[in-house]
Amino acid sequence: MKKTFLILSVVIIAVSCSAPKQLYSWEKYEAASYNYIKNSDEASLATLLENYEKVISKQKGTRRVVPPGIHADYGFILMTTGRVAEGKDMLAKEMELYPESKIFIDRILKMTEL
Amino acid sequence: MKKALFITSLLALSLASCSVPKVAKSTAYQQMYEQEPLTILLMPPINRTTNVEAKEYFHTTLNVPLANAGYYVIPPFLSMEILKKESAYDAELFLDTPLKTFGEIFGADLAVFTIINKWDKSAIGATVKVEVEYIIKSTLTNEVLYNRKGEVVYDASVSTGAGGILGLVADLAVSALNTAATQYVEVAKACNTYTFKDLPTGKYNPKYKVDGEELAGPKDFTVRLKNGVY
Repeated sequence: MKKTFLILSVVIIAVSCSAPKQLYSWEKYEAASYNYIKNSDEASLATLLENYEKVISKQKGTRRVVPPGIHADYGFILMTTGRVAEGKDMLAKEMELYPESKIFIDRILKMTEL
Repeated sequence: MKKALFITSLLALSLASCSVPKVAKSTAYQQMYEQEPLTILLMPPINRTTNVEAKEYFHTTLNVPLANAGYYVIPPFLSMEILKKESAYDAELFLDTPLKTFGEIFGADLAVFTIINKWDKSAIGATVKVEVEYIIKSTLTNEVLYNRKGEVVYDASVSTGAGGILGLVADLAVSALNTAATQYVEVAKACNTYTFKDLPTGKYNPKYKVDGEELAGPKDFTVRLKNGVY
């Protein structure tokens, strides 16, 4: 009995140290990004795009808003893989959510025109 | 007796993991509060180790903790492309130079430099010892607004020896890690997440401007992180 109480208190303390719910949910963003950088093949691209899609459609963070940069990177990668119109829509969404992104999104649009 | 001792030491350990730093964030990172930065540019990590992979482990894991702190982080794939096209991909060149151009090109208020000094895998592969320094500079004034250097031992071993509930919790965390590469991404993620825990929050965080009384972590620190717990 005493032991159960002690173990429970250890767990409670351990849990209280852990981070509270985050501003944004990211799914497996880091692993997907890394695999795409490393392999740049069809499979890693599909996984990364799917991950962006999930972050956007199933956002579980406390802010209830898609995290900064997700629409922009998603759009940029779509554009580099030939899906230009969809990509541009995503970039527009990023600027709508985060007006501070306009400056470098304009730049990337100019760059990709060349 | 033995059991009681074990449990007491576990208690002490879990308490110690919430260790107590002593300076308020508003003092330690005063300029972060005065300049009110919003937009962050991730400089490609500077890798001074022989492990070439370490750079990307860090590059892909910097975004999340900084965005979760409330900042606008310029998306890494996009910024990588622009930096490459502007021949500015070697961050080492910009550590001590004016950063005004980055402010103009990206609209970035802050540039985050990451210097990986050590990435050593233990012989059995269960732990990774990382030495990493984070330098956040203002693109406006060029001042260093945030600087922490950590010696992190990341323990990826599966068995915690704790058994019971604790063991189960640890096992659940481990099951999320599959490939070796994913596990190393996790190591970098742990370093970044642990270090930036004391970063003053940005505009998109509800604690923006009201966390100044919270305590800053020590500038130089040594920590042992378990997988999934940091």
